Amino acid sequence: MITLENVSKTYEGVSKIVALRNVSIEVKEGEFLVILGPSGAGKSTLMRCINRLVVPTGGRILLDGREVTSRRRELRAARRDIGMVFQQFNLVKRLSVLMNVLSGRLAYHTFWPSLLYRFDQDDKRIAIECLTRVNMEHKAFQRADTLSGGEQQRVAIARALAQEPKVILADEPVASLDPKIARQVLTYLKQIAGELGITVLCNLHQVEYAREYAERVVGLSQGTVVFDGPSGKLTDDILQQIYYRDPETADDRD
Amino acid sequence: MTAIDGAVAAALQLESVRRRRRLVKALGWTSLALAVLWFTANEIGLNPIALAKGRVHMWDFLTRMFPPDLSYIQFLGRATVETVQIAVWGTLLAVVFSIPLSLLAARNTTPLIRIPWFNEHWERLGLHLLVFHTTRMFLNCLRGINELIFALIFVSAVGLGPFAGVLAIALHATGMLAKFCGEEIEGVDRGQVEAMQATGASKMQVILFAVIPQAIPAFISYSIFRFDVSIRSATVLGLVGAGGLGFSLIKTLKLFRYPETATCILVIFLLVWATDWVCSKWRAKII
Repeated sequence: MITLENVSKTYEGVSKIVALRNVSIEVKEGEFLVILGPSGAGKSTLMRCINRLVVPTGGRILLDGREVTSRRRELRAARRDIGMVFQQFNLVKRLSVLMNVLSGRLAYHTFWPSLLYRFDQDDKRIAIECLTRVNMEHKAFQRADTLSGGEQQRVAIARALAQEPKVILADEPVASLDPKIARQVLTYLKQIAGELGITVLCNLHQVEYAREYAERVVGLSQGTVVFDGPSGKLTDDILQQIYYRDPETADDRD
Repeated sequence: MTAIDGAVAAALQLESVRRRRRLVKALGWTSLALAVLWFTANEIGLNPIALAKGRVHMWDFLTRMFPPDLSYIQFLGRATVETVQIAVWGTLLAVVFSIPLSLLAARNTTPLIRIPWFNEHWERLGLHLLVFHTTRMFLNCLRGINELIFALIFVSAVGLGPFAGVLAIALHATGMLAKFCGEEIEGVDRGQVEAMQATGASKMQVILFAVIPQAIPAFISYSIFRFDVSIRSATVLGLVGAGGLGFSLIKTLKLFRYPETATCILVIFLLVWATDWVCSKWRAKII
């Protein structure tokens, strides 16, 4: 489904920061993959490389056997197949919940209907369906900024689902939520993705959630894959490797 | 304990040194500013005694204006309406012009000019932001030129009358509005923009769904403020023949009909006051 081949990313700036070093991962269709690692390990960068919010400096990424490139039309088509969920939810606060979910349909449309903020009946049906999946349909007409954090994240999941994606990238989806809500959100994510056969890549920094929800875990530390295997094999030794490998250079970058 | 005491003492020492340095700096700048102000006051002939001496003339002028000839109001109705019309159209045109211009004048929405295989040098020189810089420069020109000067130009272009005033206000207000909104657009939350990009939306769709919703409250509130300012400008545009109350003002003044001039000033004051009141209510309602 997704193949990463020797993906590297170096941020050029005042000081060079190597965020990813030759990361190669193969993700199978329908898999629920957790990328585990401390802050600054490069998890966010890795995800953003897949939908090219960040342009990798080396290697290639294949989605369904086709390389994701920067060519605008191809990139838009690829992004349409990849939903994304963010740590800060990133709903457009001043738009209604429904409009936020509908915005997941934008890639299916051209400029002119969007100019009038118009969507067709099918889009609306899909959007409401997605909202129902996360049990948020009763708040469809509220403004997004009136919702609590957990509710906003559920709407964000609905927005990603409305794209009818093959893949969902969840970048620290529960890092700003309390443990109870976090479990709820992860459960929604896992359950819906399972029902719809969507491949999910989920960044986490908490080991317990990874153990609970992941089928497979990729451990990332300082931009390198240090573990790749089923969550059952996450031993203390491996966690030590992921989290405490040379702590001095583990600076904060997400 | 001693280690902590030592650290505290060192920090206190540092604090007092910094405070002294700040004091010296402040004194230096203050004396410099005072010197400059004193010098300029001399240069421009800032002289309270001249003002005191001139009070006789001022009093003379004021007594000639009193009592205001309120019957003149009947001739001012048309001019007042015209002033408001100039301001409405001027502001409206400015709003329409500044929507596209403000998008060009924001670093995050302006079209980037890229040349493949030459990108690195190109970007180091800032040339990919060519459209942005050109637009900003254009807006600075519009902003830099006073409405009265624009009015003078347009009076000679389209003739005496309110249309020249409308154009003058439209241009100047466009410069202000578009620059302000461009800055507002640059300040939008990047996360929301990223989320829209990640859905596969096109650049224009991202602007419509992530940028505009964030910038719109400031845009509306500033447009209303701009209307308020435009009314005030429109009251004086008549001085150069661009229609409105200013024309009546200068006419009565030139004919030495001071009581009528007083009425004009009174009407202008009422108009400005009423606009201010309406605009503040309007803004409060929208925000």
